Amino acid sequence: MRLEVDDDELAACVSCGLCLPHCPTYRVTGEESASPRGRIAAMRAVHAGAEAGPAFTSFMDLCVQCRGCEAACPSGVPFGRLMEGARRTLVAERRYQPWWRRAGYRLLGHHRLLLAASSAAALAQRAGLVPARLGLPRLPVRRPRLDASGTDAWLFTGCVMDAWMRPTHAAALRAMEATGAGVTPVGAGCCGALAEHAGLAEVAGGQAARVVASMTGTAPVVVDSAGCGAVMKDYGRLLGTPGAQAFAGRVMDVSEWLATRPLPTGRRLPLRVAVQDPCHLRHVQRAHAHVRTVLTPYVEEVVELDDDGLCCGAGGAYATVHPDMAARIRALKLEAIAGARPDVVASSNPGCAMHLAAAGVVVRHPVEIIAEALGGPEALGG
Amino acid sequence: MRTLLEDLTAALGAGAVKGDPLELALYARDASVMEGSAGCVCFPTDAAQVQAVVGVARAHGRSVVPRGSGTGLAGGAVPIGKPGAEPVVVVTTRMNRILSVDAAARTAWVEPGVLNLDLSRAVAHLGLHFAPDPSSQQACSVGGNVANNSGGPHCLAYGVTTAHVLAVEVVLSDGSVARLGGTDPDPTGYDLRGAFVGSEGTMGLATAVLVRLTPLPPAVRTLLADFPSAESAAETVSAVIAAGVVPAALEMMDQRITVAVEDFVHAGFPTDAAAVLLAEIDGLPGGVDAAVATVVELARRHGARQVRVAADEAERALLWKGRKSAFGAVARIAPDYYLHDAVVPRTRLSEVLQRVYEIADANHVGVMNVFHAGDGNLHPLFLFDRRVPGALERVHEAAGEVLRICLDAGGVLSGEHGIGLEKRDYMPLLFSEDDLAAQDALRRAFDPERLFNPDKVLPSGSRCGDIRSLPEGVWV
Ligand SMILES: Cc1cc2nc3c(=O)[nH]c(=O)nc-3n(C[C@H](O)[C@H](O)[C@H](O)COP(=O)(O)OP(=O)(O)OC[C@H]3O[C@@H](n4cnc5c(N)ncnc54)[C@H](O)[C@@H]3O)c2cc1C
Ligand code: SF4
Ligand code: SF4
Repeated sequence: MRLEVDDDELAACVSCGLCLPHCPTYRVTGEESASPRGRIAAMRAVHAGAEAGPAFTSFMDLCVQCRGCEAACPSGVPFGRLMEGARRTLVAERRYQPWWRRAGYRLLGHHRLLLAASSAAALAQRAGLVPARLGLPRLPVRRPRLDASGTDAWLFTGCVMDAWMRPTHAAALRAMEATGAGVTPVGAGCCGALAEHAGLAEVAGGQAARVVASMTGTAPVVVDSAGCGAVMKDYGRLLGTPGAQAFAGRVMDVSEWLATRPLPTGRRLPLRVAVQDPCHLRHVQRAHAHVRTVLTPYVEEVVELDDDGLCCGAGGAYATVHPDMAARIRALKLEAIAGARPDVVASSNPGCAMHLAAAGVVVRHPVEIIAEALGGPEALGG
Repeated sequence: MRTLLEDLTAALGAGAVKGDPLELALYARDASVMEGSAGCVCFPTDAAQVQAVVGVARAHGRSVVPRGSGTGLAGGAVPIGKPGAEPVVVVTTRMNRILSVDAAARTAWVEPGVLNLDLSRAVAHLGLHFAPDPSSQQACSVGGNVANNSGGPHCLAYGVTTAHVLAVEVVLSDGSVARLGGTDPDPTGYDLRGAFVGSEGTMGLATAVLVRLTPLPPAVRTLLADFPSAESAAETVSAVIAAGVVPAALEMMDQRITVAVEDFVHAGFPTDAAAVLLAEIDGLPGGVDAAVATVVELARRHGARQVRVAADEAERALLWKGRKSAFGAVARIAPDYYLHDAVVPRTRLSEVLQRVYEIADANHVGVMNVFHAGDGNLHPLFLFDRRVPGALERVHEAAGEVLRICLDAGGVLSGEHGIGLEKRDYMPLLFSEDDLAAQDALRRAFDPERLFNPDKVLPSGSRCGDIRSLPEGVWV
């Protein structure tokens, strides 16, 4: 089975193994099949004609797509692209994503429907109808309104995050506006990241095109979800149009954008904050340093986790699809957090935040901490 | 009779044994360019399980190939066996606990699958570290370090792995567990620990290692000097050692590799220098300052254009990251590399280097060089693309020539990566038949039936004339 990957990129891995310790699934299992090097070797074997049986699919499927391997690889192997290519081929030739997963990814693009479904689930939760083992956070029945204040920057609000964690967007708006900018929040449904990672290129492309069309002009497109930001910065490749390329160039993580602004004065909160770097901020956008820059003035102490940015196991939809592996990976992160003894963990990605919160960690988005330090009239409690 | 897979599964449980063909293929190689094929792969969690695996393998007439992280560069973990009798690969990644740390005695018992850097990190809060630091230290296992007696940049001052291993618990081919060595600084009887360290998985499988931990130096300074010629860098190295300074590390990179590395780490390595020297001095603050001054002065006197002293820990870490990812960064230039590992007397470094360039040019293959310059350990890397017909053969040719000039210059076969499969058939170049027979007798004392890693280190023909057939693609 020929995989939809570039031959040279597939050949670039020299099997040195330097990526192994940075791979969460390898850390947990110790198996080559769950490592970047092994996954690449399996892709090569299949690409060269070996049978792509259930083993191959499961090796590919167990990857979190955290791309910790990519940042660690001295040979510059573009692992994310290889994995997406392999999954696209599996989708096309092996019915890799079952209908219910595909339907789920599609729903994310239909924002009103998603909001309604989420509110219904929230009510069901209140009525005790949602089993706790699904690991859902407490869903909001009502959400705060987000109002536009100007046109200096856009704030992209996304899909699930908007439905479940809108107070984080409110905090982002508050922090951005405090720097003197006028901001317009835009919800245009899912950015396409989840579908892209699943190998559903068509679904992802449709969603991406809708997002590009929703934020015209030249103002920066600010994103407070690291996973969304990462794929939006890659729209040029995903859509292959000059317009998408130009759009991608305007995308910034909210901390990255704040770091370019004069930071407003605020209180210094008596908190020891451990920064958890979402993989797609650290390994993909490589913009994680800004989080420290913008948090430092507002808290007593910013501390690092001693795990080289190893993935927490959330991985977008991963924790839903592979709850056991996600929990085993999370256990490593919990150890690192315990070692840092923080009052609160700052995470710039809603998926990571929910995944860690489900294990009892106190997690907040950096902008929520900043917004609290800035004080003000807004009711920011979530 | 039950199959090998069934017996292993009965012994270890289903999740710990793999037999799917695609999965087995992932254990066909390590970080070298050689390939074999595995009969079964298993993941024991303790010595008792390893004993069980050894029993099953024997019963089925299969050999046992220990494997740590598979970062070996000499094919040591590559499974070799006739079709139908492929070895059982025993992976130590699930034996990765630090069993005990004695901060006062500065020792720790660890399982073999503990990663080298993880061990150092885990004891850093005690002001200690595990001194051997192969460039692969983030990924390689302590068991692999012991088996290969691995070195690293800082082994110039601290010594290679064997200086940091006090005792090893080993499962032998008859299934027994032996403890070799001990805490006593001069143990009574033969130094079996010393024989085992460096045995490359051919004498048994280490299931626990008592390592010596080294205090973190109170002061460390790292400096980078760039030179207009490789000779001037090599002469500086000799001058530094002659001046009585023993840097913790003294590493050299030629221009081509410096360019590749800079492309990955962006640490400000000068890409227009013919060679750069990375030196690290550690010890007590006063002594360190004096030694740094000496090195800077000597570098300048030998024509260094610029000497940069790392300003802080972050800059220091970045410089080392560059050096330690040198091999991998090469792949930015060509998809395959063959890494040579030879040692020559330090005084002949620049002359041998010149010959290496000539040999590469004559064979039309690209070459880049990194060295542990302080101890004359040369690592030429030949670049190629295995998809180009004839490329592999030309590299093979060049590698053989380089090996010969190194031996002619008074060097040895392997600096630190081991003999494994790759250099096995070169052993007769360095050792007489009697030498090899003595080594084989030692091996037989541990493993009379060649159960462990039978096709490695010693040419199999040297003893009883049974030339084993190598599968296609194996390159020796
Ligand atoms: C990028 C890169 C840089 C490197 N830099 C250096 C360097 O600077 N210095 C250096 O010395 N090496 C270096 N190496 C080589 C390699 O990393 C070392 O040899 C390392 O010690 C191998 O460890 P491993 O866990 O990967 O062992 P493996 O490759 O899995 O095995 C190596 C050998 O050890 C045996 N073995 C493994 N575990 C056990 C055990 N528990 N009991 C008995 N036998 C066992 C295997 O059978 C095999 O023969 C480098 C490799 C790479 C890819
Ligand atoms: S992906 Fe990169 S780091 Fe991992 S084995 Fe391949 S070349 Fe080495
Ligand atoms: S993307 Fe993450 S989980 Fe997947 S192979 Fe790379 S490091 Fe491992």
